[in-house]
Amino acid sequence: MLKIDNLRAEVDGKEILKGLSLEVHAGEVHAIMGPNGAGKSTLGYVLGGRPGYAPTGGSVDFDGADLLEMAPHERAAAGLFLGFQYPVEIPGVSNVQFLREALNAQRRGRGEAALSGGEFLKLARAQADALGMDQEMLKRPVNVGFSGGEKKRNEMVQMGIIGPRLAILDETDSGLDIDALKAVGDGINRIMRAPGKAVILITHYQRLLDYVRPDFVHVLEMGRITRTGGPELAQQLEREGYGAVAA
Amino acid sequence: MTTLELPSPKQEEWRWADMASLKAAAATEPRVAGVAPGELFLDLEGPRLLFVDGVFEPAHSRPGPVQVGRIVPDSAHPLGTRAGGEGWMLSLDAQAAVTGIQIVHLGSGGESHVPARIMLGEDAVASVVETYAGAGWANRIATISLAKGARLMRSVRLLQNEGFVSIRDEADVGEAASLVSIFLGAGGMGTRIDGALTLTGKGAFAEMGGALLTRGSQRQECAVSVRHEETDGSSKQIWRAVAADKSVASLAARVEVARGAQKTDGEQSLRGLLLDRTATVNLKPELEIFADDVKCAHGATVGELDKRALFYLQSRGIDEARATAMLTRAFVADALARIGEEDVREAFEADADKWLEGAL
Repeated sequence: MLKIDNLRAEVDGKEILKGLSLEVHAGEVHAIMGPNGAGKSTLGYVLGGRPGYAPTGGSVDFDGADLLEMAPHERAAAGLFLGFQYPVEIPGVSNVQFLREALNAQRRGRGEAALSGGEFLKLARAQADALGMDQEMLKRPVNVGFSGGEKKRNEMVQMGIIGPRLAILDETDSGLDIDALKAVGDGINRIMRAPGKAVILITHYQRLLDYVRPDFVHVLEMGRITRTGGPELAQQLEREGYGAVAA
Repeated sequence: MTTLELPSPKQEEWRWADMASLKAAAATEPRVAGVAPGELFLDLEGPRLLFVDGVFEPAHSRPGPVQVGRIVPDSAHPLGTRAGGEGWMLSLDAQAAVTGIQIVHLGSGGESHVPARIMLGEDAVASVVETYAGAGWANRIATISLAKGARLMRSVRLLQNEGFVSIRDEADVGEAASLVSIFLGAGGMGTRIDGALTLTGKGAFAEMGGALLTRGSQRQECAVSVRHEETDGSSKQIWRAVAADKSVASLAARVEVARGAQKTDGEQSLRGLLLDRTATVNLKPELEIFADDVKCAHGATVGELDKRALFYLQSRGIDEARATAMLTRAFVADALARIGEEDVREAFEADADKWLEGAL
């Protein structure tokens, strides 16, 4: 599904990703762990196409297409979902309006018919219920006044509504209490644990991996993947720290 | 045509005024506007008046209680004082209510002057929607007087393709009366919106605000002043300016609180959004307070769209142009949200959307 080959990227003229390679197949969950400053969030933004996160070498193939050549909204329509570490507050735009526009733009991009207001609301309410998000919050401006946990739940509600094939979730577990962590973990499993779908979990800690069991764990350090293993690698990292494991 | 003597940019109140565009608009030859007047009215019950080049057109009008006749404006304002001639007048007795009044001004070129007078008796209620379309220089003055408890909601949209619209409002808001005037500048013309609202009764409420959207080399501005003369009054000035290309949008708003006008609650919010680095937004917030027990919240900011928000929308599948439009619309939303009638507000929002589609 996704093949990252020797990817290099820079931010503000500084090289952050230094030849990163990773292959993700349908049905897999990959965890990418690593210390602060290793390039974890940069990887997410480069794959999402954020301006200022400039690829300088290597390639990213997403189902046979050159991902790096696509505009951010085209990547979304192709099935990529980027879960933000810090979801952005957008005053004046309601969640419902935002998500309906987003979903229908993607559907148009794929040559599918747009959903009506009624169809969309039904879908949105079902996803909000499944994530334990108050339906009233769907009407509120995007993330405005939401707590950290509510913002992350909202990311999962968005993911549920949009239904991507590949989700890249950047520190989705940060700022969550234990109930929210479980709700978010359940959400990831429910929405993304399906044949034909895959997940890249970018995380600093092992605790989300108690709920979403990865098939592969990678250690990202100094802009490249230095080690790959199974779930036991995450536990070892948690126990011994990045320094010891990498050495 | 007589020589047009206009205020000079050397005068502080006129420093951002685009009098050259006004002059050019006044000098244009009338030509067929190509706009069907019927399309300029919203689908509202209620009186309708059409003025074409400043002349009342009975064929497209159903004035109801609105009277048409000569009015000589009693104003010292340099543009307002010129706006004499045939105009319209709404005079309501105590407790009377007329809503959904629509006044459409269609210009084909040259200059036109139409005065208006609105006088509401005690507890009377009125709502008026004004639409400007076409070309030329449209010069208007509205003299408004609200008796105790009267309420006026006024929504004005400036949609001329070219030319210039100058509007002067002079209002006297009595005890517990309420005046709300909201403007949308979403055409290709230059504008000057001038206002002097005076709260002369205890507990009065006055509001003047709106959104000015400019592009190309267009210049739009407002210069509004609210004066509190009595106690317990409140006022709002919520203005948003969006400027693209090489355009200039200027917002000057002033709150004056007279000695003794205690317990005044004033709110002033001026915000500018630059869609291009070549555009300009000027803000001039002013407060002049001579009473000591007063609350006057004020804020003035100019910025660009939040790049993080833009990427957030794009990452969910919305293309850049649409994402920019959504965020820009959200930026002007609080100004247009002040329009009390839902159908009118939706029409104004649709006008703003149309502008955005063209500009982005």
